[in-house]
Amino acid sequence: MARDEHLPHLENIPAYAIGALDAEDVAALEAHLKTCASCRTELAGYRALNDSLLMAVPPRQPSAALRKRLQSRLPGAQRTARPQWSWSFSRMAVGASLILLLVMNVYSILQMRALQLEQTRLNRQIRTGQTVMSMLSYPATERLSINSDKVVGSLLVDKERDIVALIVWNMPQLSENETYQIWLIDPQGDRVSAGVFSPESDQAYTTQVVYPKQSLVDFTGVGVTVEPAGGSEKPTGERLFKVDF
Amino acid sequence: MTGTEEGKLITQVAQGNESAFLAIYDRYASRVHGLTLHILGDPMLAEEATQDTFLKIWSRAREYLAERGPFLPWLLTIARRVALDRLRLEARRPLLSDSNDPEDAWQILPELESLSDESRWRSMYFAVQSLHPDQRKVIELAYYQGMSQSEIAEVLGWPLGTVKTRLRAALEKLREAWNEK
Repeated sequence: MARDEHLPHLENIPAYAIGALDAEDVAALEAHLKTCASCRTELAGYRALNDSLLMAVPPRQPSAALRKRLQSRLPGAQRTARPQWSWSFSRMAVGASLILLLVMNVYSILQMRALQLEQTRLNRQIRTGQTVMSMLSYPATERLSINSDKVVGSLLVDKERDIVALIVWNMPQLSENETYQIWLIDPQGDRVSAGVFSPESDQAYTTQVVYPKQSLVDFTGVGVTVEPAGGSEKPTGERLFKVDF
Repeated sequence: MTGTEEGKLITQVAQGNESAFLAIYDRYASRVHGLTLHILGDPMLAEEATQDTFLKIWSRAREYLAERGPFLPWLLTIARRVALDRLRLEARRPLLSDSNDPEDAWQILPELESLSDESRWRSMYFAVQSLHPDQRKVIELAYYQGMSQSEIAEVLGWPLGTVKTRLRAALEKLREAWNEK
């Protein structure tokens, strides 16, 4: 290729090498470069200048804050300065602590629930005892003996205030599926439920107070039977005792 | 740091290793920041461009191919593009004079571990500084401000032919200096 043909392109190569050639001249030079090996060699020599110009600027230290800012903005960085086992150990420790805390909370809740039940039972026991004491001191209260082949005790009947109290000694303990049920007996022999109860486990006698929905004058006696847990509509089980009044 | 050690670090950066990334940053931050500051002339903009450059390295380290050339020119090429993009974005007028005192630059240079790197950049720095002021001016606008020859002619009020002649002469001198080193 004659030098005259090269010249216009050759003069543009330095500017093209550093990206300063005007856009309208670029296409013509690139077309020429495809067919001219010597111009491609010339271009390669100038392209190396890019590196030299990048290097020809004095270094400047950025602020220390930039390093920290950059570090905080790295997406998905593996911060593995600490060994993996220590991270795992930390996670295990946190997990174990949470489980322990959960177990302690459940245990505390169960303890609190048991204490509340015990408190309720003791309160009921106190109220019942006070009721029995007040009935014994009341002149109109009738005291009847309970004397069956299974238990002994007393039946207090206050027909003016419609209150009945049972004090029964040595009541047999029942299974979880059973309960004692109190029946009021009318003149026709029909039984009306007056509630269910369980014998005291921490003392020899059991006290139970009954507040009938109907007047006691409608009834002639009281009986107690063993029934399935929750009670029955009519007596179905073994009779513990029956007292007429 | 040897080329092999550097290659291992870059591989680790590509795998998301933060410690390796910070080692690369500690070694080259001043080079990148020197270039972005020279192009943008504003310390705050330059820090943002330096940050963007290293974030690109973080996400594109796997694109670096050692067999195609050393890491530093690749890094600085990215830094130059980031800074020029920022310059265009800000629509700033190009700086016609170097706002950095060259003598002052010597005093704030960090200690470089590699004497070859240090001697390399110093020799090219002197090569640019030894150009005729008019030639240095066109190099400044063409390479560090990203202007075409026509834009340079417009900014300086020189005929386009003069710009072409001075740019060509400047690059020829730099190429000679480069080949002599």
